[in-house]
Amino acid sequence: MWFPTAWLLIALYGLSLAAVGSSAVDVDFMSVRPTVAKEYSGKGGEPGPKYFKESDFHYHYDGRFADQELSDDETIPHLSELIRTYLSTMADLGAETWIMHGTLLAWWWNQKIFPWDNDLDVQISEPTIHFLADYYNMTEHHFEIPGVEGGRTYLLEINPNYVIRSTDDKLNVIDARWVDTSSGLFIDITAVRKDDERREQGDPGALMCKDGHRFDETEIFPLRNSYFEGVPVKIPFEYVRLLKKEYGSKSMTATTFQGHHFNDVTEVWDKQRKRQFWRRQPVDVPVRTTPLGPLFR
Amino acid sequence: MASTHHHYQHDTENLDYSSDGSDDVPFLQNALNPSRRVKRYTRPLIDYVRNEWQSNTKYSGSSPDRSDTPGWVQMVLSIITAPRFRRYAIIYTTLFMSCLLGWEFVLSPRLQEHTELTKSLDPKLEEKVGGWYGTNALPSFERVIQLKKLDASLLPAKEAPESGKESTRRLVVVGDVHGCSTELERLLEEVTFNEQTDHLIFAGDLINKGPDSPGVVDLARKYSASCVRGNHEDRVLLVRQELAEMDAMTDTSGDEFMDGLSTSRAQKDLRLARNLTDEQADWLDACPVILNVGHIPTMGQVAVVHGGLVPGVDFDKQDPFSVMNMLSIDLDTHLPSSTRDGKKWTKFFNKHQSLNYKSSKHADAQATETQATTVIYGHDSKTSLNIKTYTKGLDSGCVKGGKLTALVITDGGEQKVIQVRCNNYLEK
Repeated sequence: MWFPTAWLLIALYGLSLAAVGSSAVDVDFMSVRPTVAKEYSGKGGEPGPKYFKESDFHYHYDGRFADQELSDDETIPHLSELIRTYLSTMADLGAETWIMHGTLLAWWWNQKIFPWDNDLDVQISEPTIHFLADYYNMTEHHFEIPGVEGGRTYLLEINPNYVIRSTDDKLNVIDARWVDTSSGLFIDITAVRKDDERREQGDPGALMCKDGHRFDETEIFPLRNSYFEGVPVKIPFEYVRLLKKEYGSKSMTATTFQGHHFNDVTEVWDKQRKRQFWRRQPVDVPVRTTPLGPLFR
Repeated sequence: MASTHHHYQHDTENLDYSSDGSDDVPFLQNALNPSRRVKRYTRPLIDYVRNEWQSNTKYSGSSPDRSDTPGWVQMVLSIITAPRFRRYAIIYTTLFMSCLLGWEFVLSPRLQEHTELTKSLDPKLEEKVGGWYGTNALPSFERVIQLKKLDASLLPAKEAPESGKESTRRLVVVGDVHGCSTELERLLEEVTFNEQTDHLIFAGDLINKGPDSPGVVDLARKYSASCVRGNHEDRVLLVRQELAEMDAMTDTSGDEFMDGLSTSRAQKDLRLARNLTDEQADWLDACPVILNVGHIPTMGQVAVVHGGLVPGVDFDKQDPFSVMNMLSIDLDTHLPSSTRDGKKWTKFFNKHQSLNYKSSKHADAQATETQATTVIYGHDSKTSLNIKTYTKGLDSGCVKGGKLTALVITDGGEQKVIQVRCNNYLEK
């Protein structure tokens, strides 16, 4: 497998060998050919060891960049900048990407991240993951962010096991990550691949992800142009059908979710306060520093 | 003779009867006392025959079990074997069976549907399921127009024309054309379309599948027709938008790297997207998802869409994908579906309208008409022409050899359906 040309190309494209070399993954012909979308050798590849690690304090933080969770107030603005920078970077690179799963449902409601969310789901096509892996793996992208001194740096990291096209590679179902190096929050990027098995059975539009999700090309393509968190985003063609398949009808109609209520006037998810029937609204209450005795709790 | 005598005494109700042994005596007495005669013979006369027919065993062979079986069985047997009974039995069984079948397959499902639909519109259900369709903040799509209002000067007059006179203005709403330009021209001839007085409206899916999509668009532009965005326009226009972004409108070299082109359907969409001129594509792009026609007598507020509408939800709160693709509806959440996995949306729509607006019909007919909404739509060629009170389905499957349908609305809101036959363009 170790063609001299492969070595040469890897060096040329500046692919990080550190990411690949230490792991047991074989760099095969696919990873060094930028133009070919399909693996013509027909093999799915052997499952590899887990590449992306989650922090030990929370599974949605990258332990290399954080030692603790963000507070609830900080999480949403961080996630918002995370998806905004990701979407604009991909648009700049000409890499087609679209939102899926929980993020698509959040878009359905008010084109904003759910206030209780701490992860985001985006998808890319197979040619795109090859393109990103070949040219933009381990690239850092710095953004000026209003109200954030010095801005933030984001890292695009590709899972080298992306060349393995089998759902058996259970530890590497996420193909890439867009990581906020200031907080450790990240976006999971999954590649949508041609499902060769189902296509052989006479289903010409069959698609799959390594996480086991199955789609049809007509459900996703052609992509629609909409907005999410104020920036342009691509939406799968049959979004209602996809959401219904994944979350059921009520997910798009029920206005109470995860302790939040959708306000149909402001079109925002309001946090439901406990005992809101009798407690008065706390308006400008002075902040106590000495603790109250147990009698007054 | 003694046994016969005894028998006789036993069977008659007469208790003080002294016989002298003569056979004629009872009959004589009967003649003398007619009131008594009526009561006396409680069995068929044949039983009173007193020759050897009853006693001699040589006759008993003809009815061997008669004496063994109880009386009621005999009676039942005689009834059943009677020709009149058999006739009635057949009549009543048929009647019963048809009642049963009618209940099972007509009345019961209709009642059940009525209860189902009524229940699905109960406001209490909204609370129970946590909310109904139409509360989310509608997403906006680039270059997709949600709603347009038809110029009121194009509407037919409010008053019906006097007898013998022609309608001053007409609306001609045409179902899914799918590139069948010859059939469209024939249909316009059939309705004697007059550019000066008539306005043409397309219920979406003018293009794709059929032989001459650009020709249909040109015809529509020639007559300055109105239109709505169908699911086929939606797909083809999105592909065209993508081609423009990639600068690949004429350059096909990059096609193999484009996503979502594995199916033959996607290939057709791509070819058509390239075949359209900028003018044709711009005209199609200007078609809104919902066309608000305005108020027409006898129809109320009229809207033209491709797929359908959910009743009780404002036009600007109707999800565009659902409006273009709706076939059925989930009765709990009122979420429309692009497949047939729920109740037909038209049934739900008509029930909603009749529940809300029919009750006040006697009180104020005019007010009712202004409040109710009538939807004119296409998309559902499987159901074909489907004219109901508040929903008018016009897709009668022209491109697959069905018919092309126009709904002609004249002064006073009178409607007429006009159809022409089509070639089958899908059969190869």
